[in-house]
Amino acid sequence: MLLPFFQWMQDLAFSAYFLNSVWPTPIVQCIHLVSVAVFAGAVLLVDLRLLGTGLTMATIPQVARAAQPWLVWSFVVLVMTGIPQMASTATKQYYSPFFWWKMQAVLLGLVVTFLIRRHIASKEEGYYGPVWPKVVGVTSIALWTSVTIGARLIGLLS
Amino acid sequence: MIRALFEWVDAMPGSIAWRESLNGYVYLLTLHVVSMGVVAGIISYWDMRLAGMALKWIPVSKVKSALFPWLYGGVLVNAGTGFLMLYSQPMRYYPNFWFWFKMGMLVILAANAAYFHLSIEKTVEDWEDDPVAPLKARLAGYVSLAFWVGVIVTGRMTAYSGLVPQWWLDLGLG
Repeated sequence: MLLPFFQWMQDLAFSAYFLNSVWPTPIVQCIHLVSVAVFAGAVLLVDLRLLGTGLTMATIPQVARAAQPWLVWSFVVLVMTGIPQMASTATKQYYSPFFWWKMQAVLLGLVVTFLIRRHIASKEEGYYGPVWPKVVGVTSIALWTSVTIGARLIGLLS
Repeated sequence: MIRALFEWVDAMPGSIAWRESLNGYVYLLTLHVVSMGVVAGIISYWDMRLAGMALKWIPVSKVKSALFPWLYGGVLVNAGTGFLMLYSQPMRYYPNFWFWFKMGMLVILAANAAYFHLSIEKTVEDWEDDPVAPLKARLAGYVSLAFWVGVIVTGRMTAYSGLVPQWWLDLGLG
């Protein structure tokens, strides 16, 4: 069902530009990877705190507030730099199981991070008991690690 | 001399085994990228605290004691997988401009961290509660942030061994 959409993306002049130029793709990949590091730091800071470690001298809402701008803006850059990489290799991505693995994990990661975790991290420690924050922290780390593994395997095994 | 060392490693049975392994490189590179996220992600908050960009209300030494155990774990995996990738394909990396560029940046980062630890950090008790650290500490933070970005960029560029200055190709290392 989505194949025509991916073929359309592949045929865009924008995609051809990226495929036929030397520097745009590596530049975009480098910015994407730097954003991965910023995003990973912002995710980990809050997840570690939910797990009862890391910056325990601050409350969970304080840590979440400190990480939020880096989390949001690095994700915006990840999307902006991810689009040209996906579009210029759209048909390869479509047939790669790791691309779909990554996208499903991204979708779940977004729901967990920006809906569930955001809500839990806005409450003081103990509000949801000792278990749920830890479950959310572990789930978030697992999902974003899964995204990184899937992304790397698109390039290595597709 | 360096070439002879790399060739010697290249001929080691362990190096050949990793190189000829079907998925060895896939596992190593994937783990290297995941652990890079942990290392660079965590260290960026330490650097941003020094630079006065984040976590300004937490004393500097508290940020360090809270985050560094996780940083050390990440460094162990990141450096271990990086070393194994080099061990498995030394003659791929030897002529690679970006590889040496990255190693140079890691040396500068190590020197910056050593200078901070042996000099600026000695007086940390005097300023660790200040939201904005002294200039030398802020500079150490900025230098670290900039060079970590450089390490990530040159690490990614290692895959583009042909996109290098002409003078490097003229050296004929390949």
